[in-house]
Amino acid sequence: MTATKSNKTGGEPVFRGVPVFRFLVSVRLTIITLSLIAGTSIVGSLVRQGASEEEYVSHYSERTYHFIKLLGFDDVYHSPWFYFLIVIFTINLLLCTFQRLRRLSAPRGRQVPELGALVSSGAGFITGPANKEEVVRRIGTSYKRERLSETTEIFEKGRFSRYGVIVIHASVLFILIGGLIGNISGFKAYLALRPGDEASAAQSRKPGQSAVVFGFTVKCTDFRVSFYPSGQPKEYASDIEILDEKGSVVKQGRIRVNEPFSYKGIYFYQSSYGRSNVYTFKEDGRTIELGDEEVAREAKVPFMVVRYAEDVHNFGPGVMVAYMDADEPKTVWFLSNVEKMRSHTVKGSKISLENIGGQYHTGLEVSRDPGVPIVLCGFIMMLIGLYVNFFTAYRRIYLAEDRDAVIVAGMASRNKEGFVEDMKKIGGGLA
Amino acid sequence: MITDHTLLGLATIMYLGLFFVHILYFVWQKKPLLKAVQYVLYGTVTVQTAGMLMRWALSYRLGIGHVPLSNYYESLIFFSWSISVFMICMRKRSLYPVITFITAGVSLMLMAYASLSQGVERAIQPLIPALQSNWLHIHVITCFLGYAAFAVSFICGALYFFSWGGIMPTRENLEDINYRSIIIGFSMLTSGILTGAVWAHFAWGSYWSWDPKETWSLITWIIYAVVLHLRFTGGLKGKRIAILSIVGFASVIMTYFGVNFFLAGLHSYAT
Repeated sequence: MTATKSNKTGGEPVFRGVPVFRFLVSVRLTIITLSLIAGTSIVGSLVRQGASEEEYVSHYSERTYHFIKLLGFDDVYHSPWFYFLIVIFTINLLLCTFQRLRRLSAPRGRQVPELGALVSSGAGFITGPANKEEVVRRIGTSYKRERLSETTEIFEKGRFSRYGVIVIHASVLFILIGGLIGNISGFKAYLALRPGDEASAAQSRKPGQSAVVFGFTVKCTDFRVSFYPSGQPKEYASDIEILDEKGSVVKQGRIRVNEPFSYKGIYFYQSSYGRSNVYTFKEDGRTIELGDEEVAREAKVPFMVVRYAEDVHNFGPGVMVAYMDADEPKTVWFLSNVEKMRSHTVKGSKISLENIGGQYHTGLEVSRDPGVPIVLCGFIMMLIGLYVNFFTAYRRIYLAEDRDAVIVAGMASRNKEGFVEDMKKIGGGLA
Repeated sequence: MITDHTLLGLATIMYLGLFFVHILYFVWQKKPLLKAVQYVLYGTVTVQTAGMLMRWALSYRLGIGHVPLSNYYESLIFFSWSISVFMICMRKRSLYPVITFITAGVSLMLMAYASLSQGVERAIQPLIPALQSNWLHIHVITCFLGYAAFAVSFICGALYFFSWGGIMPTRENLEDINYRSIIIGFSMLTSGILTGAVWAHFAWGSYWSWDPKETWSLITWIIYAVVLHLRFTGGLKGKRIAILSIVGFASVIMTYFGVNFFLAGLHSYAT
């Protein structure tokens, strides 16, 4: 603004920065960047995001896949040019907001407009000096009265209405900043726990990123799910305990869908559940419980279940167990319903399958997002800003005294017809 | 026994009646018929409201009580209701028979589709855990009031290109209604997106996850934000605003229907 002003007054040649600055602060740029962000989002909703190379190749031709990869369409919301758009948009928004603030704080409203023109447009009237007090009474106390000059007074109402736009724009900035903070210092991860399981880290949702360490231990003590008669899940919940490094419980609680649990800024959400099998073996009288593909390390011969079948050749459920014999992987089938096949002697130790049981595990979404309070603040600001901007109006009425007449005229930022009606009421029988 | 389906079926027939009262008005252009339009509209909305309340009550009798705003069928009914209620709220400015004629037609189509289509599950279903939240009501209500306002904006935008002496509102009136609808729709859509984000924060652990429905609601939001900027700061008027309000509504349609049918995502309850 200063640059443009000096340019106007001094008649100096435009220095090179000005057109760029004007473009950066222009609504045209806002519209261009917003349209490009919308366009990007359309691409992002049509092309599958973050899938593996095989999935893309099975969906698209090789050439299309190269094109997708080249433009970053497989992850548009994290592509450099999407970040570039957001940065340009932020700069534009920031500059526009400052410009608006400057304009509003400038004493522009103090300059009295051409009242005659307002009167002829219907937003005013002329009356005799004797009626002045009656006009002031009719304008009422909801307007703030102020003397501008010897002959002119101004009545204002809803001045804050003009700040609505600024609040909305600032709220968008808050949301963007909150989002950025969450992106930089937050994480999203997933954790599957069976009752009794503990974890102190979770697998990050971001591909290629290592596990996220909590700094404490979460223990799932119980998981329960109930169903409607139709078979749909009605409610599911996990009971968890937080353990410190010494192993003592520091917090416990229940996580339900829609009711997360938090500890030290890390939130745990009930997002899913699943059912997995538990295999009970006995090795020389010792009981060993195993999940799918879990290695029995404490056994004399380490082994694992590599396959489960509900029905093996009509002999009922069975598992395929793998173990190492002189650096050679070997497999053997255990069938729980067939006496002969229930136990085998593996490298001298007798292993028997005692039971195949099912067990639920809870699926927890784990996240940390320090940007959330700022984003929420932005949400509230945006709603307030929208209300103030669209549903309240700034009105001002000027009252100019002459020797033989009083001119009353004004303007409204919104609902101009309503304002004209009100002016007619104020002037009723006086004009 | 009178059930929710009886009342909602009656409301559908009343929308059909409303549609024909309009046609009678267009033929004879008599003042009393215009009054009749208004009263039939009020009556229809009353019956439809009663139908939705009945469904609400019945769900409690089934032991799975919840507000009827949870599946595709219920959303179609609520959309049709929202459009009519929006027209009633705007009656001082926008109760032009051409506009109510089209909104009655849209409401009728939505109701008929909801009650006749093979692909729409009409039984009262229990709420899955993710939907058991108080954010459900405010989120769905704000979104659909927004959609309804945008539907009216679209109608005004489309009517802008036609003229019909004596029946059609003036272009200035159409622009005025269009603009007001966009303001209300934009405020409602914003509220809908923000309440949805807060809900997602509690339910999914992330206030924004670029789910197709979220993405398309953002696209719709951007389109209307651009329209408002063009109008306020660019002073854009007339034909271009009319075209943009048609484009904006196409995006609303994509957000509501398209996403459910073409794109898979987290918001899969509505199909």
